[in-house]
Amino acid sequence: MEKLKLIDRVNAINWNRVTDDKDLEVWNRLTSNFWLPEKVPLSNDVQSWGRLTPLERQLTMRVFTGLTLLDTIQGTVGAVSLIPDAITPHEEAVYTNIAFMESVHARSYSSIFSTLASTREIDEAFAWSEQNEALQRKASIVLEYYHGDDPLKRKVASTLLESFLFYSGFYLPMHFSSRAQLTNTADLVRLIIRDEAVHGYYIGYKFQRGLERVSQAKRDEIKDYAFTLLYEMYENEMEYTADLYDGVGLTDDVQKFLHYNANKAMMNLGYEGLFPSDVTDVNPAILSALSPNADENHDFFSGSGSSYVIGKAVQTEDEDWEF
Amino acid sequence: MTLTSDPTTAGATTAAETVPVPAAPSYHTLNAMLNLYDAEGRIQLDADREAARQYFLQHVNPRTRQFTDLRERLDHLVDNGYYEREVLDRYRYEFVRDLTDRAHGAGFRFPTFLGAFKYYTSYALKSFDGTEYLERFEDRVVMTALTLATGDEALATGIVDEMVAGRFQPATPTFLNAGKASRGELVSCFLLRIEDDMESIGRSINSALQLSKRGGGVALLLSNIREYGAPIKRIENQSSGVIPVMKLLEDSFSYANQLGARQGAGAVYLSAHHPDILRFLDTKRENADEKIRIKTLSLGVVVPDITFELARKNEPMHLFSPYDVERVYGVPFGDVAVTEKYAEMVADERIRKTTINAREFFQTLAELQFESGYPYVVFEDTVNRANPIAGRINMSNLCSEILQVNTPSTLAEDLSYAEVGKDISCNLGSLNIALAMDGGDLGHTVETAVRALTAVSVASDIGSVPSIAHGNARSHAIGLGQMNLHGYLARERVHYGSAEGIDFTDIYFYTVLYHALRASNLLAIETGEKFEGFERSTYADGSFFAQYTDAPWLPKTERVAELFANAGIAVPDQEDWRRLRASVVQHGIFNQNLQAVPPTGSISYINNSTSSIHPIASKIEIRKEGKLGRVYYPAPFMTNDNLEYYADAYEIGPDKIIDTYAAATRHVDQGLSLTLFFKDTATTRDINRAQISAWRKGIKTIYYVRIRQMALEGTEVQGCVSCML
Repeated sequence: MEKLKLIDRVNAINWNRVTDDKDLEVWNRLTSNFWLPEKVPLSNDVQSWGRLTPLERQLTMRVFTGLTLLDTIQGTVGAVSLIPDAITPHEEAVYTNIAFMESVHARSYSSIFSTLASTREIDEAFAWSEQNEALQRKASIVLEYYHGDDPLKRKVASTLLESFLFYSGFYLPMHFSSRAQLTNTADLVRLIIRDEAVHGYYIGYKFQRGLERVSQAKRDEIKDYAFTLLYEMYENEMEYTADLYDGVGLTDDVQKFLHYNANKAMMNLGYEGLFPSDVTDVNPAILSALSPNADENHDFFSGSGSSYVIGKAVQTEDEDWEF
Repeated sequence: MTLTSDPTTAGATTAAETVPVPAAPSYHTLNAMLNLYDAEGRIQLDADREAARQYFLQHVNPRTRQFTDLRERLDHLVDNGYYEREVLDRYRYEFVRDLTDRAHGAGFRFPTFLGAFKYYTSYALKSFDGTEYLERFEDRVVMTALTLATGDEALATGIVDEMVAGRFQPATPTFLNAGKASRGELVSCFLLRIEDDMESIGRSINSALQLSKRGGGVALLLSNIREYGAPIKRIENQSSGVIPVMKLLEDSFSYANQLGARQGAGAVYLSAHHPDILRFLDTKRENADEKIRIKTLSLGVVVPDITFELARKNEPMHLFSPYDVERVYGVPFGDVAVTEKYAEMVADERIRKTTINAREFFQTLAELQFESGYPYVVFEDTVNRANPIAGRINMSNLCSEILQVNTPSTLAEDLSYAEVGKDISCNLGSLNIALAMDGGDLGHTVETAVRALTAVSVASDIGSVPSIAHGNARSHAIGLGQMNLHGYLARERVHYGSAEGIDFTDIYFYTVLYHALRASNLLAIETGEKFEGFERSTYADGSFFAQYTDAPWLPKTERVAELFANAGIAVPDQEDWRRLRASVVQHGIFNQNLQAVPPTGSISYINNSTSSIHPIASKIEIRKEGKLGRVYYPAPFMTNDNLEYYADAYEIGPDKIIDTYAAATRHVDQGLSLTLFFKDTATTRDINRAQISAWRKGIKTIYYVRIRQMALEGTEVQGCVSCML
């Protein structure tokens, strides 16, 4: 990887002078959403894991190694490569948070592995991920653009990664959770989805702000580039999905889900969706399971879900204690 | 293949390479459509009804064992060790047959997918290999009634009628286990003291394992345990405090489950003035170290009035060494009324103490509630002032609705009991307010429920934990609860938390209390027995009744008077209360405790109710449970035309919930699980204000604090019902 551009002069970041309110809004959201995988009682899924078929177990391991790979890229290269392009110092701060959380995500999949699977199964899955062509191609496509020199193109690649490429993997835990399998794992993945939704949205938003500063010709070029990249990734993703899901007969369903998310990714970039509604009719069970809102009702027999956030501490005043 | 897995997934098991796409949409898909608006922006309630239908067609019916007649069915189930023979032997076959016909003829249907799914997943009797269902809902009702009525045909008939009509629903352990040969206990809930010695700690871990194995949740009192750094055998800085005990308990609960049917679950309570209080709370921090982090154990804090008083004056708050307090007062710290002795303990030099800032303590509580929903809060002095029974209440249970007195046990070195104290158990069951009102004879419904709950208490003898058995035998405490308040109010086009809504709550609970006491008094007359310690209760000297006999208690709004009049339900007057008082003073009551309003999770889905007396969490509730996955549940009686009455708990806000609970609390001898709901714009200060307001209005306990964070605009799933504000 090339050296990151060193900044000539360092200004102390002043959060009292926020030039783009979106930075503060997203920063607040991301920090209040902070979590660590230890929060989720994954071990409650051990029994459920044991009831999956060997094929389903293998699929799960492969899906999660694939996701680990993407999160590794996004945490170590992707989000970091966006920092030099930041327009405001607050934007830089948000990227560092994104980068850190991506590493938390990558770490989380390991928590799932070590809780549920044996070392042999884990090693097999990692070996598979190194050998699967579609997965490796997916990684190299993204890496290539992260190493490129156009900030806008980097953002396109990053948004597509956050909002599109992850979802072939996210499908599986959502599918399981709607069938009462691996529900705590699904909770953890939902926390990741909650983060990725914000990441994709924010990077897409910054992309659109960046686009406003360039000429029409450049805009056309970028748009052309975005759709070309999406096609390239899409082709590859179809292949990857088939590699993963053909065995359990879910490929068609996952592909619809990918269409749906491809459209969301393009919308995050400010473009129109690519796929018509008749190929984006995702199974309602999956779509509902995705809902990132913290409105699940659960009790002490369930996990803690994705509901709780780090709150804003405000001291009480004398008037509160007048009784 | 097991019954809990879905047919589409099951298909993947057998023929993974060529999975057929099912012709009809799967019931999970139909159910999930509830959470997505249709093209006209209406909630797809029909899709859920179709999901329930498809669930029967695709899943239940093909897997339900058919018998030629009832005789064959019962013989099969008894001979193969599914049903307890003794339960059926107490009845004539003809009676059982007629009762079964009566139940099946009542026209019961599951109105929602989740109700049906929950019943078949968690309650119905299944073949040992897990491939067949052996009971429909009506069969479970009959078996429950036969078990509880122990040969009393009239009572069995009464219980079947109340249950199959949906007016009364016993709590999960009773409904799940009654009449099954391989089963857990019928009781829901246990509360245990731990004393400040190794024997008691060891015994409590054994009790936690034993009780979890048999079902239900266990709460333990940690207040008596000496603090971190306290001396052991007079050598200073030896004790490790309460945290390691919590870790041991947490692991015990995860280990034990009830034949896999229900995970073990536990709670621990600690006095706010225990020196370990901040360490105790920090176990729930998001970034707590793994060694001290508590994931699945629930926490509760016991807060006396003095803590509020100190916070008001913004004074430091003293924490007292339980080790020293026990030496000075000769009783465990948990049995000391902190408010009363506070100044004395502060002045006593023999008691080691530390101080923290009282307001910061409350703020820490609120921060933790934001992050984790915990701790529960027990307002200790409010609870004890309202307690009609002699003795002291120092803890609550896993759902913070059980509030009973206890006494310590003394253990020998081999963990046998030198002196058996009184620990607490409580079996619960709830009325569906809407259907109980519709039934028109609330008195009879309450009486049947009290008799059914009492039968569980009489039948229970938890030999593995003698202090529980001892307490139960002497108190016969029960907890009659209520659910579907919001559903009822919305159906009657009354807003939750409005003047009418609060008025209804007041008069309803007032009427229920009257009938519950009447029923317990009848039981005392019939059996010639009353609970131990009746003579020292405020029932015995009649003072309990003063608030009801001294002044009339009437509906304050026309609408509520009309609701009761239309239902044909008489509201008791002063004369009724005077007669009841005379009879109670003369004959006593059978049950030490009568009411407790639990949060009703699972049973309210089966019963098509809104949970407890809370507002709904969402118009379409997303339910996540270990055995169910994500399932969607529509609020009862909701149509696309009465949505305005289904404001959710976050919109309704804490004030109206507190007022509603305050109205009910006056008439409930134990507690009510009260959850506070906040939007994520709330701060810890808002939570503190709500706690102060709850305490001032006489609320006894606070259960969870829930925060709803909506998706950031632009990242939400489009067209999703639960995503809309």
